[in-house]
Amino acid sequence: MTPEPELATREKQEVQGTEKTRPGRYFVPNVDIREDENGLKLWADMPGVSEKDVEVSLKDGVLTLIGAVSPAPYDKLTPLYTEYNVGNYFRQFELNEVIDEAQIKARMRNGVLEVELPKRAQARPRRIEVSAG
Amino acid sequence: MALIRWEQFDPVGSLLALQDELGRVLRNPGFNLGISGYGAYPPINIFEDSEGMVIIAELPGVDPASVNLTLQSNTLTLSGGRPRGDAGEGGAYHRRERDFGEFSRSIKLPEGLDMANANARYEAGVLIVRIAKAPEAKPRQIAVQSA
Repeated sequence: MTPEPELATREKQEVQGTEKTRPGRYFVPNVDIREDENGLKLWADMPGVSEKDVEVSLKDGVLTLIGAVSPAPYDKLTPLYTEYNVGNYFRQFELNEVIDEAQIKARMRNGVLEVELPKRAQARPRRIEVSAG
Repeated sequence: MALIRWEQFDPVGSLLALQDELGRVLRNPGFNLGISGYGAYPPINIFEDSEGMVIIAELPGVDPASVNLTLQSNTLTLSGGRPRGDAGEGGAYHRRERDFGEFSRSIKLPEGLDMANANARYEAGVLIVRIAKAPEAKPRQIAVQSA
């Protein structure tokens, strides 16, 4: 077993380009996307976002992830020293795979959004039996 | 120093005000954290309110039971790990941006805190540690007596 690497801090990246109707800073969540024969699985780090404030949608082959952060925990607090800013999260991906939209599942756990995007049955590889004779 | 006060009916305005306030004290050089300053994991923000000091850290994807928090004299140490979990299984990766591994960070806290009176909460990937002010550090009203 290899020893666990040490975690390093990465500066949050602000979303550039697209303009949102709600003002304020939007950050780019770090994601992992993995594909296997059944579909895609995506994880997005969105600390500070609870399950009721996350929005996952797929339209015209574009997957949109939006996480709204709540300012409530900061009520009546005066900042003395900060290393990061807080803001909503936004990210979009064009999906090349044929996804079965009705079967998309998403859940939020400990500030991580997990999205399962199963491929449509016809897009999955199928093994064809070869018969002799 | 302005005290942030959120209006319940205006979450957008509250968030904008919060973002401004956080930007104003970004890496405030007047606040000495000791040896593990900016750049150490996890990134932290430090606040105060009338009750004491509040330290907030973004730690997404961490099991709250695996986070170790210790307070020794004036040093707060946060340590733990972020396992890859089922993100480590087979298949082909299109993106691999998230980091996994161990972390440990010790920060020096100012004087005047009651280290025995601290609590921590982990919610939605954010760790919030509250440490109360020492009774002698709280403002006290002094009665003025007439002669």
